Amino acid sequence: MDNPAQIIIENVSHHYRPAVGREVLALESVSLQVREREFLALVGPSGCGKSTLLYLIGGFLPIDTGKIMVDGKPAAGPGPDRGIVFQNFALFPWKTVRKNVLYGLERQALPRAEREARAQAFIDLVGLTGFEESYPSHLSGGMKQRAAIARTLAFDPRMLLMDEPFGALDAQTRSLMQSELLAIWEKTRKTVIFVTHDVHEAVYLAERVAVMTARPGRIKAIIDTSFDKDDPEVHRSKIFVDKVDEVWTLVRDEAVKALEKQRP
Amino acid sequence: MARVTDAMRRRFAWGAARLAPVVTLLAAWEIFARSGAVTPFMLPAPSAVTERICEDALGGDLFVNIGATLYRALMGFAIAAVGGVVLGAVMARNALARWFFDPIISVGFPMPKIAFLPVIILWLGLYDVSKITMVVLDAIFPVVTATVAGIASVEKELLWSARNMGAKDRELLWQILLPAALPQILTGLQVALPIALIVVVVTEMQMGGYGLGGAMMQASRFANSRGVFAGIVEIAIIGYALVAAMAWLRRRLLAWHQEGREG
Ligand SMILES: Nc1ncnc2c1ncn2[C@@H]1O[C@H](COP(=O)(O)OP(=O)(O)OP(=O)(O)O)[C@@H](O)[C@H]1O
Ligand SMILES: [Mg+2]
Repeated sequence: MDNPAQIIIENVSHHYRPAVGREVLALESVSLQVREREFLALVGPSGCGKSTLLYLIGGFLPIDTGKIMVDGKPAAGPGPDRGIVFQNFALFPWKTVRKNVLYGLERQALPRAEREARAQAFIDLVGLTGFEESYPSHLSGGMKQRAAIARTLAFDPRMLLMDEPFGALDAQTRSLMQSELLAIWEKTRKTVIFVTHDVHEAVYLAERVAVMTARPGRIKAIIDTSFDKDDPEVHRSKIFVDKVDEVWTLVRDEAVKALEKQRP
Repeated sequence: MARVTDAMRRRFAWGAARLAPVVTLLAAWEIFARSGAVTPFMLPAPSAVTERICEDALGGDLFVNIGATLYRALMGFAIAAVGGVVLGAVMARNALARWFFDPIISVGFPMPKIAFLPVIILWLGLYDVSKITMVVLDAIFPVVTATVAGIASVEKELLWSARNMGAKDRELLWQILLPAALPQILTGLQVALPIALIVVVVTEMQMGGYGLGGAMMQASRFANSRGVFAGIVEIAIIGYALVAAMAWLRRRLLAWHQEGREG
């Protein structure tokens, strides 16, 4: 619990300047620290800048104000230490599921047989056995999402940046994938930043839940959710219900503000 | 067994249905040509034209001419395809190249390149090189613009995802940008191929010599209307075959694409 901070975000703001249309302030002085091996959930109303924050940490967008340090170094440019699962999957459509999963592994100094075995293991893990040779366009939304998760887990990044990774899944598959993710996290102790709209999911998976304000996104509150969750009935326990309620109230207030802002 | 023959019958019916308009047109042509409304000189009947094509085929002339025309068209097309994709990729990736070539492409694309024919003949003579050059000049534009547009529309997340998994900057072009832009590039090539055939026939008509265009002009000069119409039919068949081959290639290459989906 008292691991040193691995990801340090200080006063980060981000403007989008599209070629046409108006400038958008997506994030405004966001400060946040994520400890090594921590599981942090990020919730907030749609359009508040959650994806933007992940892109900045991932090194995909330039940081113009503030700074982000990862492992003591500025997050300039992407690297395989921070594996990202994109909200829109970003699978390579011309590659089969297997080739997609192999892409990151091919860049690591692993013998071929081991790469293949690793790819297969993660395809099996996400329940896509039998679809190894399918192209993404022939998969359902939930299957694409699971393929994208397998691809990122396979190259074994130390930090996971997951952007609504279970958003397209049905309730049962989602619950199975949550358990798998927790099992992987407990086994390998990766640092996880997990964006979700589902407050239950956030409270269940994460040790801390960061709630963001409506756009321009700031960190509104951070709720500690690191109570004991081993009990299969934990969803009904008082502490769980209270925490969900607390986060839910914060998110709802912001969602209402976001909607009001959009009205003319 | 019954089901198989059913499926076969359906496929045969489909093929027949697709051929019907062509057959109707040929029949109408035959009837009109024999009706006496026009002389056989103005409009020879398709049967007479077919006879002429068979004579040419037996004499070997047909294959020499088709070979010459196809060689020039496909050679020019291949150069335009490779050159167009390379130039398009460079333009998409390099601001300086874009700044330089963008206006040239904008002015050059709509311009009738046939206007360069006299200059090209002066510089390169009357033989294959000048005809192939004319083909390249015309066919390269759709390839360049399709490649530029295709690369520009690649989702940024695909590039990010590759870089996230450790791809180097110089790997992105081959591994991500070109495959992701392939559907649009192929569309550009599908536009360029008929252009290549058209340009080659037109230049052959201008310059004479071997080739279907030259043979037609020759026939016309000798007032051989059957020969002229034979040329028209031959070009139509070759054009159709080339376009069909290209569409087949597209289906093969884009099996992964949404459009490659069966049913
Ligand atoms: N490429 C872009 N160009 C211009 N503005 C953008 C761009 N991407 C996002 N934005 C703006 O930035 C804001 C934050 O976007 P972001 O995608 O980070 O939101 P989000 O919290 O992930 O939303 P959601 O929950 O709906 O995925 C949005 O209001 C959007 O209008
Ligand atoms: Mg988002």
